[in-house]
Amino acid sequence: MIEFCQVSASYDGELAILRDVSFMVSDGDFVAFVGTNGAGKSTTMRLINGLLKPTSGEVLIDGVPTSQLKTSELASKVGFLFQNPDRQICCKTVREELLFGFAAQGRAGAEAEAKVDAMIERFGFDGDAEPFLLNRGTRQLLALASIIVLEPPIVVLDEPTTGLDFRECAKVMEVVSDLNARGTTVVMVCHDMEVVGDYATRVIAMTAGQVVADGATFDVLRDADVLSRAHLLPPQIVELSMRLAQEGAVSPTSPVACANTLDGMERALAGEVGVRGKGDAK
Amino acid sequence: MIEISQLSFRYREGADPILKGIDLSIPDGAFVGVTGAAGSGKSTLTYAINGIIPHCYPGDFYGSVRVDGVDTCEASLTDISRLVGSVCQDIDSQMVSSVVEDEVLYGLENFGVPKTEIPARVDEALAAMGIAELRDRSIAELSGGQKQKVAVASVLALKPRVLVLDEPTAELDPASSVAVFDLLKRYSVEHGTTVIVVEQKIALLSEYVDTLVIVDEGEIRFCGTPHEVLEHSDKLLEIGVNCPRSTSLVNRLRARGLVCGPAVCTVEGAVCACEGLLSGKGACA
Amino acid sequence: MKGFLEYVPGESFLHTMNPVAKLAAAFLLVISCFTTSNFILLAVVIALDAVMAVQCKMVPQTIGLAKAVAAFSVILALIALLFTPQGDVLAPLPWGYIGTASVLNAVLIVVRLVACAVPLFLVFYVTKLTDMANALVKVLHVPYKYAFTFMSTVHFIPMFMNDMAGIMEAQMARGVEFDGGLVKKVRLMVPLCVPLLVSSVRKTNSAAIAAEVRGFNLRTRESGFKEYPFSGTDFAAMGIAAALLVVAILLRVLL
Repeated sequence: MIEFCQVSASYDGELAILRDVSFMVSDGDFVAFVGTNGAGKSTTMRLINGLLKPTSGEVLIDGVPTSQLKTSELASKVGFLFQNPDRQICCKTVREELLFGFAAQGRAGAEAEAKVDAMIERFGFDGDAEPFLLNRGTRQLLALASIIVLEPPIVVLDEPTTGLDFRECAKVMEVVSDLNARGTTVVMVCHDMEVVGDYATRVIAMTAGQVVADGATFDVLRDADVLSRAHLLPPQIVELSMRLAQEGAVSPTSPVACANTLDGMERALAGEVGVRGKGDAK
Repeated sequence: MIEISQLSFRYREGADPILKGIDLSIPDGAFVGVTGAAGSGKSTLTYAINGIIPHCYPGDFYGSVRVDGVDTCEASLTDISRLVGSVCQDIDSQMVSSVVEDEVLYGLENFGVPKTEIPARVDEALAAMGIAELRDRSIAELSGGQKQKVAVASVLALKPRVLVLDEPTAELDPASSVAVFDLLKRYSVEHGTTVIVVEQKIALLSEYVDTLVIVDEGEIRFCGTPHEVLEHSDKLLEIGVNCPRSTSLVNRLRARGLVCGPAVCTVEGAVCACEGLLSGKGACA
Repeated sequence: MKGFLEYVPGESFLHTMNPVAKLAAAFLLVISCFTTSNFILLAVVIALDAVMAVQCKMVPQTIGLAKAVAAFSVILALIALLFTPQGDVLAPLPWGYIGTASVLNAVLIVVRLVACAVPLFLVFYVTKLTDMANALVKVLHVPYKYAFTFMSTVHFIPMFMNDMAGIMEAQMARGVEFDGGLVKKVRLMVPLCVPLLVSSVRKTNSAAIAAEVRGFNLRTRESGFKEYPFSGTDFAAMGIAAALLVVAILLRVLL
């Protein structure tokens, strides 16, 4: 569980980056942080794993303030995937890279080896390959694998899909989504609203260091006021549905006006046409 | 403006060619988007246009690339740069100055633009990117979106005939990405500059470009208006290129026989198609 | 260490001085510091440093820098203290002794390094790198290639430090403990050189290409748009620094 209690934070005592931020993430949640560059999302992520300590207020991980823990101590609870995998990867082989976290946390041993082998199998890696020679998408997957092999109860992802192509992005997000389905709490920063809409169950929108909205994914992404305040663009289907309702093509309570996904919208439109078709036939 | 014929290229350290027999013709003033899966060769294709291959990366270069009649293999990189302005992917290491104004000055000074003309050119370039007020700011303090605009302005100041950008919005949030494309589009229309953008975000490309080029395994799979290219959404998916959701939706409705007409590229297009459908006009006989 | 050696915009007297004059004055101060062993003269230089820091509103940076230099020079001073036995014996050591002159010498090292480092580093905070490189090319006729290399090197320092900090953070987030002894720290840092090297090579490569496509090869001494004339104040500043050097030499010769 992650709790932010009126957290403010800044770098080097400069102007506050985060002002009076409060929220709670329960175990098993899948939360996406959205907002413009510089809204304070990455800062929030760094506060979760203790790389940054709040200047006021408290960040609690499972009830323990991060100010009492070192980042290295928090590492077993919070797995953190950085935006740039090249800053994380440091070993000579894929296998060593996956074992690295176990060694750093003093958990090396037969059990660790077994978990690493299972991970190599699952991702289809070549255990002896040199990480820096892999392509960008595979490096990102390796960085993710080397975090989740440690099985932390919370995983924090800072823009996990930036710089990846469509297939790589889908692969990374499938892994994350599977992780969440098995009970891991996932917190991510993401600019791609289609990804947010597809995977996150809850969205926290930030702007200028403050939380402007916190709620179920599509409640937030359908709130015109929030969208404009946080400079967000909704997923295309949501935008379409809002536009159709706005322009009076469908009633605001119709399924079309509430459809959020591609499948949902297709069904809703077909249904709407079916009903109207029957109406016309009379 | 740009004539590429039978271009093949293999990086010296690569086993296989990254580009295979590319033929592409880009007219003057076009706004072209290039996309494809990772490793498809889309960036290398732009390197061929701005002369980075063969001039900076050694390898086997076959075929020819002509920009405004100039053969990029015969001309020096500097001469190509007079025609083609390039904005690289890593803008942080592209910056040579600590202050915005100096960054824009750099190319102008190097290319020997008359000193009486320089102040006007700087003003113009900053205004074109909407960053006139950033002139005296330190680059280190700027946001990603602002830096990207500075990088573009510093190249626009040279008034290139062709502007090549390699994933200009990779690090930007959606609002800033749209802002960058808005500015590029406007500039291209106003000045008749040919713009070639490599971009991962297909929804953005579909909305702005007039020619969409899809590269797959070193070959051009599709090339045409976004409407034409997005007709092939299933094949695109096979080669790892997604479609905007609006396109997918309308394609599904077309498959059900609910909607007729061409593929749509934008939410706007989907709104029209759906309104047509809902009002009963769009339904196919 | 955010913003280390990075230009801080401002309008102060130091900001507006000719870049070459700034560098010349700074170097004259450095030479003076190394010529003299006179504490009063060094105190004058430190006072001058303080005045400059206040004048260009760079007090926190200067204090931070002075602290860092002092910490570094303390190591040198300790070595000097332990291994250069001079003056009256204060404490015997198995391999020699610590003498009164050794103590003086050690203190001198710290004071001297702090005094001379401040002006040198301040130059970077109050001068745009481009101005410095352009002025060196225009006024001192330094070949542009060298000036650009120097400029890029300094330009890259903050980027490398940023990268290094990011890489270390990624390690901490995976459970690596960076606290502890120097040896342990160094041992932990060694593997990080690989990612740092990889990113540096990539960056320098793309920087070189970016410069080339913007006409780097065409640049000559006349290319620079801005002119860097010397003003009376520039001569005055260099004069003061030169006078300090003369005093330092005189003190050395006469005493």
